Amino acid sequence: MEQQKSKFRIGNLFKSKMLTLILLLAVVVGVFTIMSKGQLLNPKNIRNILQSITLVSLLTIGAGMLMIGGYVDLSLGGIGTMAALITAYALRAGAPWYLALIIGLVAGAVTGAFNAVLINELRFQPFIATLATASITQGLGYIVNHGQQIDIDNPVFNFIGTQRIADFIPYSIIISLVLLAVYGVMLKNTKFGRSMYLVGGNPQASLLSGLHPKRVSYILFINAGVLSSLAGILLAARLKTANTTGIVNQQFSGMTAAILGGISFGGGSGGMGGALIGILILNCFNNGMTIVRVTPYWQTVASGALLLIALAIDFLRISRTKKVS
Amino acid sequence: MQLEFSGVSKAFPGVQALSDVSFRAEGGRVLALLGENGAGKSTLLKIMSGDIRADDGVVTLDGQKQSFTSPYDAIKAGISVIYQERQLIPAMSVMENIFAGDLPRNGAGFINRKKLKQDAQEVIDKFGLNISPSEPVGRLSVAYQQMVEIMKAYRRGSDVIAFDEPTASLADSEITILFKLIRELRDEGKVIIYVSHRMAEIFQVTDDIVVLKDGRTVASFPTAATSEATLIKAMVGRDIGDTYAKLDRNTEYGDTLLEVKNLVTKKVKDVSFTLRRGEIIGFSGLVGAGRTEVVRAIFGADKIISGELILEGNPVKFKTPADAIAAGVALCPEDRKEQGLVLFRSVKENISIPVLSRIRNFIFLDKKQEVTLAENARAKYKISTPSTDKLVVELSGGNQQKVILGRWTSGKMEIKLLILDEPTKGIDVGTKAEVYQMVCDFAKQGIGVIFISSELTEVIGVADTIYVMHEGKITGNVKRAEATEEGILALAMQE
Repeated sequence: MEQQKSKFRIGNLFKSKMLTLILLLAVVVGVFTIMSKGQLLNPKNIRNILQSITLVSLLTIGAGMLMIGGYVDLSLGGIGTMAALITAYALRAGAPWYLALIIGLVAGAVTGAFNAVLINELRFQPFIATLATASITQGLGYIVNHGQQIDIDNPVFNFIGTQRIADFIPYSIIISLVLLAVYGVMLKNTKFGRSMYLVGGNPQASLLSGLHPKRVSYILFINAGVLSSLAGILLAARLKTANTTGIVNQQFSGMTAAILGGISFGGGSGGMGGALIGILILNCFNNGMTIVRVTPYWQTVASGALLLIALAIDFLRISRTKKVS
Repeated sequence: MQLEFSGVSKAFPGVQALSDVSFRAEGGRVLALLGENGAGKSTLLKIMSGDIRADDGVVTLDGQKQSFTSPYDAIKAGISVIYQERQLIPAMSVMENIFAGDLPRNGAGFINRKKLKQDAQEVIDKFGLNISPSEPVGRLSVAYQQMVEIMKAYRRGSDVIAFDEPTASLADSEITILFKLIRELRDEGKVIIYVSHRMAEIFQVTDDIVVLKDGRTVASFPTAATSEATLIKAMVGRDIGDTYAKLDRNTEYGDTLLEVKNLVTKKVKDVSFTLRRGEIIGFSGLVGAGRTEVVRAIFGADKIISGELILEGNPVKFKTPADAIAAGVALCPEDRKEQGLVLFRSVKENISIPVLSRIRNFIFLDKKQEVTLAENARAKYKISTPSTDKLVVELSGGNQQKVILGRWTSGKMEIKLLILDEPTKGIDVGTKAEVYQMVCDFAKQGIGVIFISSELTEVIGVADTIYVMHEGKITGNVKRAEATEEGILALAMQE
């Protein structure tokens, strides 16, 4: 029915979405606090959770922004791993820390641009194009040092990777939180942020209304490439070595956290506030399962179930509002 | 054969879509279901097709009470509803679509393609159509896809066939074919229900009329015993009179605004025309004649192979729509939902798209200003929505079109050329009249307007000069005073 006077205000959609998320986080924290007899909120454990959040946050920003714009990138893990190896290689070859860092980030940017070319110019499906890139970048990662890890012994990298404020808050998490805030503000309050939602919601209509969907696409892929490179490099800095597994296993955590945080896979909705809560939910959940000694096998199953629950809640909430039209 | 609704009611949260709707449709007759958007026609069709269930009342078929729990039940009972959005599988062939759900099989359980082809050919011949059973449906024109839908319903042996705005995307010549089919089905004794906004069609093809307003049956009569004015009055509850005669038009043109010289694109062949400030030129022609492609090329959305565009005396080349917009050109595309709107974003966000750069404080969007712009548009065009925060998807077609118009005239940009591609598609009569007046108002402000429409009466009624296209070429142009439907149709179909 077209001319509906709906009872609930649609403007509150975002708020109610946030409410759902915060409730879900409260449930996760509550359940595991009880099950672990308070261990979850033990300062030592919070320290662990903070540590684990750092990397996922960067991947979540990159993957989440792509998803808002209507894209997906399966090569983020590969890019980050390759970039870390390249940076470590440059350091070992005697490059100063900043140059090595820039080389790694540029490698990520170039690969992101490569994805954008495949998708925009050659019209490959994002899923397929980035699947290919994932394999290519992982292969290149092996080639950098014949499949061997490269140790990092640089004071600046060590400091960023391992030092904490008051022996509690890792310096690296500050990078993540600042970026989350910057991207969050950008998404909600700038033209570029708005364009991402519009392009993700309907690229055709955006183009015909004067936006540049192609430009948005390039920026999103390059951005995700750079952020995952940073994640890969930070992990290497923490481990004091860049290896060929790198952040490959974390890339899906990034996407999962984004989805948990309410960024829809179809594009056009979600934000960084939700993403942050998604990250917290995912990490508290994983950490909680470890401290209550759920076996890793069941942890994997439970993570999948958590994602399904989040999607189901989202679906129910949205279908209630959409049914009206 | 007889389909009867008695006391049918249906409520959705916040709205009574149907209340106590009763009428009877007889076999061997075509019944028109008429009403503005939101009158309850779609809900009624959905109840008929088993998509949703009525809260109250009964539907009987030949005296037998029906209660469908799914579309499958309705199909089994012999009711087919042909919706605006075609429910075909584009990659599959005509024959597979016609026999979908009931493909003939051989002894081994595999599809018997030979029999399938024969059976399909029989149905196609029955309808006297010239299409191949193995052609993929996606490659057929919209009109022929519609024919496939009808054949599908016919093949199922449906006794009741309902059409929901079947001509919305058809050109006049294709409508003729459709009507011929509808009459044949009627003469076989089937119950035909016909939903449309277009008055002329109602008189051409239907035998009885039921008018719905606000979910109630407000009038019903045999078509022969009524007039257009009576119907409109029943539908909108007021007298619209002769919509076109009442338009307050612009009579003074300015200097030349746009000159198109020998425009050639993939689908446009050597198109030239001139538009003055304050002038409304119409583009008529069959679907696929290249009208949309001409304006897309002007707007920078399609590649121009050769030819020249001169805007305000300067040659222009728009690489993207953004360039065209910067030069003061605006386009309201044909397909509102696919190309015009970001459906799951709010009204205000849809209105501010082209002016985002102009409502900034430093780098940040000035959201107060955005709300002001949206509220202005809402007031100016009487967009009916409780708030500009509402998602566009929840608005009616007419209001969605107003959102697009509001986008181009929010006051933050100056448009010189406004292109409207089928702006009244799927909009109810009352809103159509509003849109026509808006178009005339734009012309009065000195804006040059290109108005594309497949509805002949509309393009003749609104445009000052009508250009007719056929297969990518302009085949002629006529002034409004001299335009007749027959004359334009002749140009549109000329070989």
